Formats: sequence, C-alpha cells, structure tokens
Amino acid sequence: MGWQRVYIVYYKLGNLVGADVLHQKDSKSNSALAISVDALTFSYTPDSQPVLNIPQWKVSDNQHVFLSGPSGSGKSTLLNLLSGTLTPTSGSISLLGESFSSLSPRQRDKFRAQHIGVVFQQFNLIPYLSVEQNIHAAVYFAQKQTTNAVTSQRLLALLEALRLPQSILKQKADALSIGQQQRVAIARALINSPELLIVDEPTSALDTAARDSFMALLKNVAKDSTMVFVSHDMGMASHFDTTYRIDDISALNTTQEQASGASSC
Amino acid sequence: MLGTIALESLKRRRSTALLTLISITISITLLLSVDIIRTQVKSSFTRTVSGVDLIVGAPSGQLNLLLSSVFNIGTPTKGIDWQSVAALKRNRQVDWIIPLSLGDTHRGFRVVGTTNDFFEHFMYGDKQRLVFSEGQAFNRSLATVIGADIAEDLGYHVGDSIIISHGLGNVSFNNHDAHPFVISGVLQKTGTPVDKAVYVTLEGLEDAHSPNQSHRSTPTLSKPADAHEHEHEHEHEHEHEHEHDNAKPEAEVYNNNAFSPEQVSVVMVGLKNRVTALQLQYRINQNKSTPLMAILPGMALAELWQIMGNVEALLLGLSALIVACALIGLSTMLLASMRERYQEIAVLRSIGAGPGTLLLLIQLEAMLIALFSTALSIGLVVVIMALAKPWLSSEYGIFLSGTLLGKSSIIIIALMLLATYVVSLFPAITAYRRGLHSELSGR
Repeated sequence: MGWQRVYIVYYKLGNLVGADVLHQKDSKSNSALAISVDALTFSYTPDSQPVLNIPQWKVSDNQHVFLSGPSGSGKSTLLNLLSGTLTPTSGSISLLGESFSSLSPRQRDKFRAQHIGVVFQQFNLIPYLSVEQNIHAAVYFAQKQTTNAVTSQRLLALLEALRLPQSILKQKADALSIGQQQRVAIARALINSPELLIVDEPTSALDTAARDSFMALLKNVAKDSTMVFVSHDMGMASHFDTTYRIDDISALNTTQEQASGASSC
Repeated sequence: MLGTIALESLKRRRSTALLTLISITISITLLLSVDIIRTQVKSSFTRTVSGVDLIVGAPSGQLNLLLSSVFNIGTPTKGIDWQSVAALKRNRQVDWIIPLSLGDTHRGFRVVGTTNDFFEHFMYGDKQRLVFSEGQAFNRSLATVIGADIAEDLGYHVGDSIIISHGLGNVSFNNHDAHPFVISGVLQKTGTPVDKAVYVTLEGLEDAHSPNQSHRSTPTLSKPADAHEHEHEHEHEHEHEHEHDNAKPEAEVYNNNAFSPEQVSVVMVGLKNRVTALQLQYRINQNKSTPLMAILPGMALAELWQIMGNVEALLLGLSALIVACALIGLSTMLLASMRERYQEIAVLRSIGAGPGTLLLLIQLEAMLIALFSTALSIGLVVVIMALAKPWLSSEYGIFLSGTLLGKSSIIIIALMLLATYVVSLFPAITAYRRGLHSELSGR
C-alpha cells in the first residue's frame, strides 16, 4: 500500500495548512434550494392509486432533514424518486437547481453519480469486490474531474472519520460485518463529495447505542451536504435540523401498500 | 476499473466460468487444428511435384498411381515392362523420363529405385530443383541418396552404409543384408515426401532382389545411355565384383542409364512441349498392345484435393458448429449469471455506470473468457501439432511447415471473437433493461 503512505503524508500536510478534505464541496452547493418538488404524484402502475401526492416540498441547501412515517406510507418511494431510481407519474423534481425529473435516464444516472450520494437500506455493496474497489468504482463511474491524489486523500479521511481501519480496504465486501458494511456504504456515498445525501433506514439493524454512535459519525461526515434521512424510528429525529412526517408533505393521508413489480426507470 | 470488476466477477463464478472456458478452448482448438491441417495439406499438395507432365504406370487408378509415385503412399498394383519404358523414352514428344521402382523400405522410410535423372529433372514447389546439402547423385550401383528428414532423424552422412528391407512395413524380416548401399548424397529439405525417401539405383535395387544375390554394377560404367537393346546381356558377367563396389568410388564414370531392369513401378515423364501432354496421354491410354495408364499430375492432384476438400469442408463445418455450441454455452452462462447479478448491475447503475458501460462490462467478461480460451487454444494447437508432426508426415505425407497460424486461422479467431461479441449482447442488453428500483429495494 505504497500509495496510501504517500497520501497519509499528503493528508497530514493538508491538515497542517488548514485544508479540510472531508468537507470540500462543489460549486453547485451554492444553490439556495437543494430539493424542490412541485405537484408530484407517483403510482406504481398506470391503473393503481397514487402512493404519493406532494403539492410542494422544498429543502434548503445544507439542511439535514428527517423524514418519517409508518411502513408503506411512501417515504422510501419518495427517496427513490429523489435518487432517480423511480420516475414521477406527474409533477417535477428539481435538485440542486437542475430539473432532475426531466433528465433522460442516462443523464439522471450521471447526475446521481456526480451530485447525489445514496446509502441504501441493504447497503448494496458489490460482494466480490474489495472495500477499496467498491469505493473506487463510485469514483470511476461518476467521472468527476478529480485527481487520484485527492480521491485517495478523501478516502483516508473518510475511513478515519468512520472509524474504519485502513486494513479493511483489501477485504471483500461480503466478508464484512453489518456495521462495517454500513460504514463502507456511507464512505462510498460520500467519496464524490455529493451535495445531496439520501439515506434510507440504514440503522434498522442496530441497537440504540450503536444507532446513536452511527448518527454522530454520519452527521460529522455529511455536515456540508444536504441530507434526507428516512426512518420510521421517531427517536432519531433529534439528530436533524428539520423533521417531516410523510403525511405532512403528501396530500394522501392513507397508508397504502405499494404494489410489487414496480415500474422503474 | 471495468477490467477489475469483470475479472473479479468471473472469479466469483469460477466453476461455471472454468467449464465455459474449457468448452470454448476445446472447440477453438478443434477448429484451428482442422484449419491448420487443411491449409498444410493443401500446401503439401501444391508443393509436392511440378514440372512433371505425365505419370505412367500399369493400369490401376489415377489416385493409386499419383499416391504411389508422388506421395510414396501405397504401391502400384503391377510394374511396367522396361521395353515399354524404353519405347516411351524413344517417343519424339518425350524430353526425359524418370523411372521409379517402389516396394522396399529402410527403417520405415520408403525406398525408391531410380536413376540420376530424378535429381536432374524432378522439381517441386514453384519449379524448384532438388539440391544436395551433402555429397552428390548416385556414383555407383550400390549408392543411395537420402532425404533431409532421414539424414536428420537417423543421423546419416555421406559415406555411411545402409541396408534396405523388402516390403513396406516398419519392421521387416527380409533385409537385403548382402547389399549395403553407401550414401552418396543428402538432399536439402523440400517439405515434400522427398525428404522422407531413400533413393537407390535401379541397378542396385534389382541386385538386392535377385535370387542369387549377385549384382551387376561395373558393366554399366562405360555403357552408352541408350542401352535398351542390351538389356540382359550383362546379367551374369560380373557376379564376383561385389566387393569392388563397396570399396572404390566411381563418381565420374558411373552411368546408371546403361542399366535396364526387367520392370519398374512408375515412370515420370517430361515433355518437350507441354501442350502435347493430353495427346500423348490419350495415345498411351488407348494403346491396346501395351496396357499402360498415363495421368496428368495436375488433374490427379485436383481430383485428390476435391475428395480431400469435401472431407475438409465437412470437418471445418462440424468444428464451426462445435464452436457455435460453445459460444451459445457462453451466452447461457452469462444469462444464468444475470439472475444473481441484477442487483449488482443496479448498484453499478446507481453509482453512475451508464448503459454503454454496463454493456461493455458484460461483454468484457465474455471477451475475457474468449481471449483466454483463444490463447490456450493456440498453445494447445502448437503442442498438438509438434507432437503430431512426425506421425502426420510418416502416415499421411502431410508436412507441417512454415507458420502454423495462417491467414485463415487469424480470420477464424477474429470471427470467433466477433461471434462472442454478438452472443454476449443479448445478456448484456437484458441486464441493462432490468429495473433499477426493484433490484435496489429488493422487490
């Protein structure tokens, strides 16, 4: 791991001159509104009832938003719409000043890779790749104009912030514990310094102490990003700037079972 | 990065990937081997003989005559009476003749009785004449000239003595021990059956076969070339000069054309004007008083190649089918793996991999298997051909020479890689079309 030693030195030098590699942001973060949703509806099939109907919802830049609601209330659907894995039935979504819902699937993939970090409920690491390869894949596919030095520096900083040892980089993802997978998934989501971080109930498998510890870590590493965090556990609301119940923003008051066989982008 | 992902993905499914690799490797090896044999046989065919206008032998069959005279495979059913040969030589259209007497062997290599005219007139390849790498043509009755492969395989040099055996088997119990032939020359390599033949004088061959084991070498030393009228006069005159034969060289004075054997197996004929070949062939074949058969080597080669060509086309077709099956197997493997990979593909999409990238990734895996299989196949083919080379040349007269992987092999490899690209398109497209959301949320 020769390159790691080089970048540790680089990282320490960076610290000496006051650079904070973990919280560097792109110019897009200057946008006043991180999320703007207008007249959004979504149905899984054309004939079914909409599971979401949001007349208007806005999230300011740098806000950490907690979104709660009972199972099946549509909160994960909203996150999938925000991350571009689902397409609205009607209405529009603007992210970071970009009309996200009108982008082509390919443009949406690219926008997501470059500006949005997603931590999935199942973490979704690629099992046969090492931790390092999983994280570097996110950098590679995002095609951001960044140097290897900066990426490696950021990776080391993320590992330190997430309290992961450097030795974990060579381990295969499927050999990690749930807690390690969770933190690696966060590292992958944050490696490209996204302006928007979407987190979907990653703490569901943790006890209270572990959950609080995880939240402290997450808030630290994502303090310069806008974050939308979804959970049904209201006990976590205290960690966030703003709390929404899905019923507060959606015009639908009923809890609906979402149909399986979802239409996808 | 894509290469790493593709390689790690294959490692993850190593057992199915390995089986696919083996099946593709075997099929490509088969296809390349068939192609190499095909091109080498064709090359051997075209190189074997040139400049010979007619081959004349006892009536048997065109192919039999061609195989025995040119490829040293099999023997003509009957011999030709020397009077007929002499008459042929007297024909005004004939420029030269090369009589060939077949039927003996030396340690598994064919022995061909002939005259020095063989070394003067016989040509191969693009009208190339035979060249001596060592020594010279027959310089005595019990002289022999050997092909390059025999010299190399058996370590023979000019001056060494060899014993020939009666019959065509590798092991013979009827050796002509009393008539050792002394090597007077070694021919340069030609890549034709000449390399694997032992050429002896007709006189020496007849001596070796005569019942009283006598021979008649020296009387021919000063005889005129046109000796067909003196055929049997000298037969018993010098029965006791055998020792002389082995003891003293007679390089400058030996005239093997003076000797007239009772019969020979085949005669190669060179004409003064090639245009008359068909006419002479017709006359020979229609001559009822002397039943002989004349063939045009070019036409006989074409006929033989047509037979071989059909077999070759069939083999090539079968091999191509086997490759197609292996490639379908590759596609099946990729499709089967897609089921377990939809989630990881969705993850890759979620982190920014575009449709083109995903197509490339799946195809890269297929290409990695195909390329590795191709490399293995080429290695295998080289080993197989090196091992089969002596067997192919001794059993079938196929001489492997030059570059093994010719233009056609390169075309086959390119087509195979193209086919891999095409068959891997389907699983790749299927992969991308799967929904992103349903896989990521585990629906």
